[in-house]
Amino acid sequence: MTADLIVDPQIRFWVFLPIVIITFLVGILRHYISILLSSQKKVEIQQLADSQLILRARALRENCGYISKNSFLIRRQAFNKEDGYLTQKRPPVTQNMMTDPSMMTDMLKGNLTNVLPMIIIGGWINWMFSGFITTKVPFPLTLRFKSMLQRGIELSHLDASWVSSASWYFLNVFGLRSIYTLVLGENNSADQSRQMQEQMQMTGAASGMPADPKIPFKAEWEGLEIVEHQWKLADVERELLQEE
Amino acid sequence: MFSRNEHSSVIRALASSVHQTKMFATFAVRDTEQVRLEMDDRQRHKAQNIYCTKPTSKDLEQLKRYRDNNDRRSREVVQIWEDTISSSIENLGKEKHIVLEQVCIAAVDTFRLNIAQRCIQELYKDFPNSSRVKILESMVYEADENYNKALHVLNDIIKQDCTNSAAKKRKIAILKALELNTEAVKELTEYLKTFMADVEAWQELSEIYINEHDYGKAAFCVEELILHNPHNHLLHQRFADIKYTQGGIENLEIARTYYYQAIKLNPKNIRALYGIYLTTTAVLNSQKNLPQKKKDSALKVVDWTLKQIKKKYSDAEALEDIQECLAALEI
Repeated sequence: MTADLIVDPQIRFWVFLPIVIITFLVGILRHYISILLSSQKKVEIQQLADSQLILRARALRENCGYISKNSFLIRRQAFNKEDGYLTQKRPPVTQNMMTDPSMMTDMLKGNLTNVLPMIIIGGWINWMFSGFITTKVPFPLTLRFKSMLQRGIELSHLDASWVSSASWYFLNVFGLRSIYTLVLGENNSADQSRQMQEQMQMTGAASGMPADPKIPFKAEWEGLEIVEHQWKLADVERELLQEE
Repeated sequence: MFSRNEHSSVIRALASSVHQTKMFATFAVRDTEQVRLEMDDRQRHKAQNIYCTKPTSKDLEQLKRYRDNNDRRSREVVQIWEDTISSSIENLGKEKHIVLEQVCIAAVDTFRLNIAQRCIQELYKDFPNSSRVKILESMVYEADENYNKALHVLNDIIKQDCTNSAAKKRKIAILKALELNTEAVKELTEYLKTFMADVEAWQELSEIYINEHDYGKAAFCVEELILHNPHNHLLHQRFADIKYTQGGIENLEIARTYYYQAIKLNPKNIRALYGIYLTTTAVLNSQKNLPQKKKDSALKVVDWTLKQIKKKYSDAEALEDIQECLAALEI
């Protein structure tokens, strides 16, 4: 029933290709802007020390079987005793995100390179190229895909494998990743989908913010309390001599 | 049997022969590696007649292999630089900076300071304010024994960025070069308070303690290394060496256990085999009234180790085996 639907070849030159080129160029532009705006994150020395402390505690917990019981107990004592490494008192980290100016600028920059172009370009494309059918996927699809592939076109009888211009734009946004890696190299900041993932995580953990070290410290403390020392080298002599 | 002091000097000799990290020991050239270096040099010279002056992808691959394996083949790197790269730095493409850094460290290692200077100049062209390049610069001063200037550069870096661990380590290396061991220990412990999981620093501290005959503390540091890397037989062997040197029945027993562990992890470890022999005979000699059963088992162990060592030596006649054993000696 849709075999007789013929798309104007002008659409190819004035809608289909422009959308690809625009999304691609915007990605490249964003890459360079974010390079321009990026500021080196200052790592606090305290934060660094905390993460190393946790690393060391973890190594102790996992590989304690390779050192003698005495050495293990000495170390655990150093970590877990009253006011030891893991139980040290710290002034609570109540650094407010809004009062820290560097945090504010960081957030602003993030929005500037991520959210704003997304809204502006998306809106503009929607307005400029609205209502076009641009292409057709070469396989039949069920009706459920209509809302995904035919955004901006409300035709109930149109076959679901036709793609509207707005949907074509979104397909491009998410699908150009490998091309960006080809052009700009690994770890570029042109790819929007990756950045959106990052933003998602950011809202949870507020990256860059010095997280309160008490929580991971507490977890490590518990781990060390629970762990039982098993001397792994006890049998090694017998094992080796038995081989003979 | 070794006397205590003799043995400690053996440990020290070993300490310098075991792989040391690039950041710390810039000037010590290792014996085993020297042998290999010269062998490879000869092979390279043969190959040179075929390859001309453009940096072939083969040379670059070779450099990359050294980098990836953390091989310290400074002479070879400098040789490659002189043969091919130095005349056409611009052709290096993406790898330019990392190759320049590698060559620079190699040049400092072999005291070819003019080469190092040139690399640094090239790097400064692209990164005028990089602390990484500044550290290279300080290393050149250091190689020239111009320690004040080196310290000045390093202090500047630390003032700008107090989390720069490489600069702090180089400062400690300078203290060590000046043979201010107590100062170095002080700085290192201070450093380790912040960078607790820095394995290189723990290793360095253990080596300084061994040099100062402070075996208890050295043992602590090596235990820390074992915690971070429990499957490295050389660490177990080193720990056993230290315990053996400390002496006393208990320590000897511990040493023997760790020697066994080292052999379990790498059956080629002759030093550990010999260590078992030494510890067992030491236990036999020191305790006069050992129960007969224990005595018998100890004698059996001595027998076993001697047989093993003899077997290993009769096996290791082919040259490839020696090379393999040398390769097994790197941490």
